[in-house]
Amino acid sequence: MDYRIIKKSKITEYLNNLINEYVIFAPIEKDDIVLYDRIKSGDEVILDYSNSVNSPKEAVIPQLETLISCKNNEDITCVKEHLDEQKRFLLFGARPCDARSLLFLDKVFNDEKCRDVYYMNRRNALTIISLGCTRPQETCFCTTTGGSPFSSEGSDLLFVDIGDDYIIQVITEKGAELVEKLDLENTQNDELTKMDIVINKSKARIEPEMELKILKDKLDSSFEGSAWEILTEKCLSCGICTYHCPTCHCFDMIDEETKGKVERIRLWDSCQFPHFTMQTSGFNPRPTYKERYRQRIMHKFSYCFDNYNMAGCVGCGRCVSQCPVNLDIRQVLTAFYGKHEEIRL
Amino acid sequence: MTDVSNKIREEAGKLLEKGEVDVIIGFEKGSIPLSATPCFIRNEADIEKLIWNEYCGNNLSLYLSKARGKIGIIAKGCDTRAIVELIKEKQVQRERIVIIGVPCEGMLDRKRIMIRCQSRNITGIEDQGRQLLITGDSLNVAVEKDEFFYPACQVCANRNPVMCDVFIGNTIEEQKTDEFTDVTDFNEKPSEERWAYITDEIDRCIRCYACRNACPLCYCKECFVDATQPQWVGKTIEQSDTLSFHIMRSIHLAGRCIECGACERACPVMVDIRKLNRKMSADVKNMFGYKTGLDIDQPAPLSVFKPDDSEEFILDI
Amino acid sequence: MKNLYLPIPMKVENNHIETEDRNIKTLTLSFLNNKDEETFNFIPGQFVELSVLGAGEAPFGIASSPMDKKHLDFSVSRVGLVTTELHNLDPGDTVGMRGPLGNGYPLEKLRNGNVLIIGGGFGFSTLRAFTNFILHPQNRKQYKDIAVVYGARNPGLLLYRNELSEWEQRSDVQLHVTVDKGGESWEGKTGVVPVIVKELSIDTDNTTALVCGPPVMIKFTLPVLAEMGLAPEQIFLSLEMKMKCGIGKCGRCNIGSKYVCTDGPVFNLAQLNLLPQEY
Repeated sequence: MDYRIIKKSKITEYLNNLINEYVIFAPIEKDDIVLYDRIKSGDEVILDYSNSVNSPKEAVIPQLETLISCKNNEDITCVKEHLDEQKRFLLFGARPCDARSLLFLDKVFNDEKCRDVYYMNRRNALTIISLGCTRPQETCFCTTTGGSPFSSEGSDLLFVDIGDDYIIQVITEKGAELVEKLDLENTQNDELTKMDIVINKSKARIEPEMELKILKDKLDSSFEGSAWEILTEKCLSCGICTYHCPTCHCFDMIDEETKGKVERIRLWDSCQFPHFTMQTSGFNPRPTYKERYRQRIMHKFSYCFDNYNMAGCVGCGRCVSQCPVNLDIRQVLTAFYGKHEEIRL
Repeated sequence: MTDVSNKIREEAGKLLEKGEVDVIIGFEKGSIPLSATPCFIRNEADIEKLIWNEYCGNNLSLYLSKARGKIGIIAKGCDTRAIVELIKEKQVQRERIVIIGVPCEGMLDRKRIMIRCQSRNITGIEDQGRQLLITGDSLNVAVEKDEFFYPACQVCANRNPVMCDVFIGNTIEEQKTDEFTDVTDFNEKPSEERWAYITDEIDRCIRCYACRNACPLCYCKECFVDATQPQWVGKTIEQSDTLSFHIMRSIHLAGRCIECGACERACPVMVDIRKLNRKMSADVKNMFGYKTGLDIDQPAPLSVFKPDDSEEFILDI
Repeated sequence: MKNLYLPIPMKVENNHIETEDRNIKTLTLSFLNNKDEETFNFIPGQFVELSVLGAGEAPFGIASSPMDKKHLDFSVSRVGLVTTELHNLDPGDTVGMRGPLGNGYPLEKLRNGNVLIIGGGFGFSTLRAFTNFILHPQNRKQYKDIAVVYGARNPGLLLYRNELSEWEQRSDVQLHVTVDKGGESWEGKTGVVPVIVKELSIDTDNTTALVCGPPVMIKFTLPVLAEMGLAPEQIFLSLEMKMKCGIGKCGRCNIGSKYVCTDGPVFNLAQLNLLPQEY
């Protein structure tokens, strides 16, 4: 692997150098909360943060996106695709879990049989610089889902904080191209030793809690049964866990007529909403919070293995820290994994 | 707090043991620091899980229509106010519930405390009464509780249960009557400034509907925002759609909102949702001299007609 | 890279009222572009997303046979926004169409065997497409005995009545049309679909059943087929779920790990038995 080094104090300058060439998304603080958002200048970026409230999936699946449109007085023969050429897009300071979520989304949207052009249009323009986690939070469980605080999966460059500098691991060609552009120095051996210490220290703090393959079997055999109802009784069926999840990607497609235009847009939707699966006849295969929460868990930890050979969860912990009723996904999984008998039915 | 927790367990245990209720809805310890989480206790052996502390912020009354059988509910002031309205609106039958009332001195805002702690890992919390000493990863802060009570708690004038079957602890002194000074202050600002504030807040909304789903009075089987025929509100996150949702919701709650602040607590992006609801509450108070959630026999002002009703809201064009 | 969200422009040729209650119409569409007509190939049982700009999209099974390359039929029951708009279309109007989507009926497996087609109510549309396909002179000899059981609540709700009469006249297809409740003028069979199926005498060894209809019909028909000796691998069902994208991305039509839009809508009972009962 190729390693480079960069002074922390130089980050702002480097980002400013790139800002004309790239649309840059980075963690910023807005009204007290940390969000990934588009920056106009490098000094908006904060580097000392745990993780953002929103996930960076917005870079590839924006909450709202026009697919096709035409003028009000036109018909279907005049439909225009909204596939503008994307400016190069840089996601700076993503956490390794979030970078890894892009690998998952690729499996869904870059599927050979049904490739999603809108996703690919954005994805191809995207370069990801992630920032390894020296301080995993109590809500983090990346190692359980197959990642780690310094996983390079999904990243083009991975930054490791060694004090006054970041060691840059060059992961992909896209990353290498960026490194060349910035003309960064090579690393010394003692710096690499420092890096290894940081990585190992952090990894030791976040041990995997369960074996995913075993978890899948246990979930598959527990589809029926009242455990789901008991475990999810407090669920509000709101969309927080899905909207801020980096891998949740369900969407709705609707037509909107505004300002003399008809647009077909797609927008985030959530399996937690009753209307998500409600048929026009009124029949709903997932009528209550129990079926809907079960769908979310089964999708991530069973169905995704069948379809993509990867969990549909990267363990970022957003659903854990943001759930208004503290319905902790880790506790639900643990209940099925090993301590099933502890649930009093 | 441990005294209160013990007393809750004792009373809840009695109710379950005697078969007076099938389930107790209360709080248990949360899975992350500075949290408690709603729990449903059906078995006497689980009684020990019940706790009471300053993180029991959820309004549990919203579960009343969902749970089956006879229900015992641990209720602070705002929960009981919601129960009053739910009974009035015939969503809950009084005889189906046993209210275990607990006075509340305010609930702490975990999200704001976490921001104060820069979202660092917390390893120790020492409760010093008016202060929390929080330690952790490169973290050592003293948090003044007074600064971190939820905004709704700060103006709450009914911290004691307004109605209950079992009372736990001692009645606490109420804060002074809510004069809606925040609403008056806001009203005095120029309209551009008010508009800018509201739209800035609403622009963060991601339409996850946590505010609606956490609200005990938002129990409609089909919310206007989900209806498709006709579709009342657009589904996008454009400002006009999002704002329409919040305005329509607040108007639907006028004279019904009990000001527990559950909406605001649930919001993942900390939108000041109460701004709209407070304005509605202030208007209802000024026009009809009515405050929600206090009296089970007093009809909601917007559900009855009186010849001398205020007509100020009728525009004179 | 093909944009799978881009609709093909289609022209309305006809919008025919099917049922006495006027709730179901059959739309006949033709292609506006020759190139689309040439490249659009489908098998019976597949579906498309039809769209009226401004109202949105909805999925519909193709109700006509692929032997007719120029026209596509869709039977539309008026229940929501899009279907109401589709009902209001006149000949000459344009609509958007994305597809074909889904897997369709298992033509390979059905070849050289007996086919038992069981449809109920509105669910008959893709079975009509399939029946017309196998009855076509070019295809008929590839299939042995063909039996069709089709039921509706009352005679006024029967679809494709002209075709039913034509099939009735043919000696190479056994047609059983039944209604739950006939009127005074009804001379055909009365009784629900499972009861009629029970009365059939069929060589089950070499028979494949295709079933599509309301849940209650399916529920009572499946045990009858099992009793007759059909193995789960010999019974195919076409399922309906709420769909948006039709290409396995939007996340709402899955049953377990299978997406009805891409893995289905046609599944055999053995496959369904492995999936959770969430449909």
